Amino acid sequence: MLNNLLPGKITLREWSEHFKDIDDETIRRYRYYDNDTWGHYLQPPATFLVYGARELKRLKFDNSLSSLRMWGFVFNESERLFRARQAGKKVVATMGDLGIVPVVVMAFPECVPFYPECIWWTPFFNESNVLLDQASELGSPEAACFSRAALAAFYKKAYFPEPDIIFGSSGATCDDFSGVMQLLEHIGNEIIWLEVPHRPLQKRHGSSSVTEKTSAGFEYPKRFIEYLIKEYRKVWIHMSRLTGVKDEALLRDSIRKTNQLRSLVRRIKQLWSQADIAPFPAMEMMTIEFGNLYGYGDIDEWLEILRMIHDTIKNRVEKHTGVLPESAIPIAWVSPAADPYLLNFVEDVGLRVVITEYVINQALVEIAEDREPFEALANSFMHASLIGSTSQRIQSIKEAVRAKKIKGVLITNVLGGSHCAMETRQIEQALDEVPVLSLDVPPPFGITEQIRTRIEAFSEILRG
Amino acid sequence: MGLIGYAGPYIPVEMISAAGYQPYSLLHGDYELMQEGTHYVRIDACPLVRANIAYVIRKRTEFAACIGAVGCDMSRRMFDIIHQYTGIPVYILHVPRTDNRQIFDDEIDWLIDELVHLSGKDFREELPGEIRRWNAVRERWRQLELQRAAYPSLLSTRAFHEAVRHYHKGNPELEMNIPENPSSKKPRVYLVGSELSYESADLLRSMEENLCIVGDSIYGLSRFLNVSIKTPDLDGLKTAYYDQPPCIYRRSNRKYYDHIIREIQKRQCQGLMGFTLDYCDAYEFELKHIEDTVGLPVLRLRTDYSFQKMSQLKTRLAAFGEMLC
Repeated sequence: MLNNLLPGKITLREWSEHFKDIDDETIRRYRYYDNDTWGHYLQPPATFLVYGARELKRLKFDNSLSSLRMWGFVFNESERLFRARQAGKKVVATMGDLGIVPVVVMAFPECVPFYPECIWWTPFFNESNVLLDQASELGSPEAACFSRAALAAFYKKAYFPEPDIIFGSSGATCDDFSGVMQLLEHIGNEIIWLEVPHRPLQKRHGSSSVTEKTSAGFEYPKRFIEYLIKEYRKVWIHMSRLTGVKDEALLRDSIRKTNQLRSLVRRIKQLWSQADIAPFPAMEMMTIEFGNLYGYGDIDEWLEILRMIHDTIKNRVEKHTGVLPESAIPIAWVSPAADPYLLNFVEDVGLRVVITEYVINQALVEIAEDREPFEALANSFMHASLIGSTSQRIQSIKEAVRAKKIKGVLITNVLGGSHCAMETRQIEQALDEVPVLSLDVPPPFGITEQIRTRIEAFSEILRG
Repeated sequence: MGLIGYAGPYIPVEMISAAGYQPYSLLHGDYELMQEGTHYVRIDACPLVRANIAYVIRKRTEFAACIGAVGCDMSRRMFDIIHQYTGIPVYILHVPRTDNRQIFDDEIDWLIDELVHLSGKDFREELPGEIRRWNAVRERWRQLELQRAAYPSLLSTRAFHEAVRHYHKGNPELEMNIPENPSSKKPRVYLVGSELSYESADLLRSMEENLCIVGDSIYGLSRFLNVSIKTPDLDGLKTAYYDQPPCIYRRSNRKYYDHIIREIQKRQCQGLMGFTLDYCDAYEFELKHIEDTVGLPVLRLRTDYSFQKMSQLKTRLAAFGEMLC
């Protein structure tokens, strides 16, 4: 049985073998939208290989039941969204802000938010350029963020149902996805545009410059909050029109639930990074972290999955066991990797990720429950990774370097991605007390020996 | 008088001037500067941004401050980098990407406060005078620009570019020195795209060997002529700057397309050139839609301001010219 396995990373084939030991009752226990007829999702990862995720055969996965449950749920998202439509739920695309608009959407009963840009992993899991090629045909440049896959996914209508409503955040955002969103409008999608302010670094003077601070100490002009409140109220009004629901108390409930999620992920990350032995692999941890954006559209089920993962990790930490050797070298990872294989590979060469900055800070902080809800959401957004300066973004990594918690930093970039182009040198220079490796993540099939050798050499340097 | 470096069409030069500084548009595209810029940002950063960072860092003592805008992401981040390496005060205006006049108005009020603090003088009373001055300057250039749009065109864009450098460098009253231009019968084209740098004369010369550029919506060329302040006060200034034809990165950017289509028709253009700098997402993402929308032959030109691809570029320009004849 799975319970008897020592913690470790296993292949797809091994998972299929272990899956035979899982009884029917367990399989029936886990279901999305709490639907007992068609909501079951616990499956061996090989199922998703058959559906097209061909990269899975190269990856290694955590061997716990909680991890299996997580992957089943995550890989099932496309089906889940189509089911939502069939079941009469409203499907809402929330683009560009990474973490706040779904909190408003989730306040409305029977509404399922999703981030189309998260489909940027699909070309890699599928080892296919279909979406990227289609995006190019629709006008996206090739030297642009892989989130351009979202454009093709909208066009092909096969990855998610046509949303009932689309929100697109622009302003102090990355140019690549802003370009993608505009192309989406050009091909016939109606987008409700929202303005995202920046977070200026410089001190401000004069009467028009009253400032506030986030809980992390980032200062911003108070009036920027007022702009954001208007934008989030706009979302509320559109959602109210769509659903007929007007009870703002529901937003407080949604914030509370979101905070349960964020608080749980914070605790999981803490356990994970402070353990002597890595209790969970980095690829799974990235998937957990990104779940904060919208609870992958079924926050109740996602919370249950995370509680189970939390227990798995806690148990492993208490037993002083884990999935990597104790000698694995701790590093920080900056910017998410579109190709999950890289997260596997760094662990294969003796590294262990303990700190991450995946450009979604705004989705990691808890939202104040003692403030007016729209104001609390706005304040929470002002933590965002990409609206401020690079120095603010990497503050926590800098502190970890000083505290000697990490021995190196790995940055994954996208060639032509606007913030990658501008920030990477700054990050390299700011963190020059430890070795920094900066990689451009190539398109699917692009991980070459050269890239592997660079990561291996980086590992050797850190060992030396 | 110190320089205040600025970027983008939404920064009111009148305010900088009234505060006692010379408004200097950051439009450098020199090859050496671009190379130097890779010390601070990656090679896949916008060439203009790379060159401007290097330029301000080199000439740091000449700049009293820099003003940028939230528009294109790289340009916004450029100012943080400039501040980090020079200590020069930088002010980044949140120019909204969506249609949101209130934000723009508030940001202009804030910028005034900052410039008052920087200069140590309350220049608000001098603003109407500066507005009249810069309005008059733009009107002179507008009259000149009419010659370019004439049928046949009486002014080359290269000559126009040469002349408007004075405006962008904050010396608008300098003599224009426009050379005699024989009327051009070459195919009339409209130019859209990324910024043209101070060093783009040769690029424009190459374009105009086979074509006649009779209009543009380019920052660094005639974009500034869209600002016409009706009442010489702060409200008039805000209205004129906000209501100018929007940048392509405005969301939604339908009004941008409405504007260029109007201009193309008005100027009787036979073709359009879409000029993009390497890694300029704002335009790269739009080229196909431009092709699908304008109803004219479109030539895509991509460059990093260097002359490495000049022969290839010339051949393509010549072929496009022949196609339009």
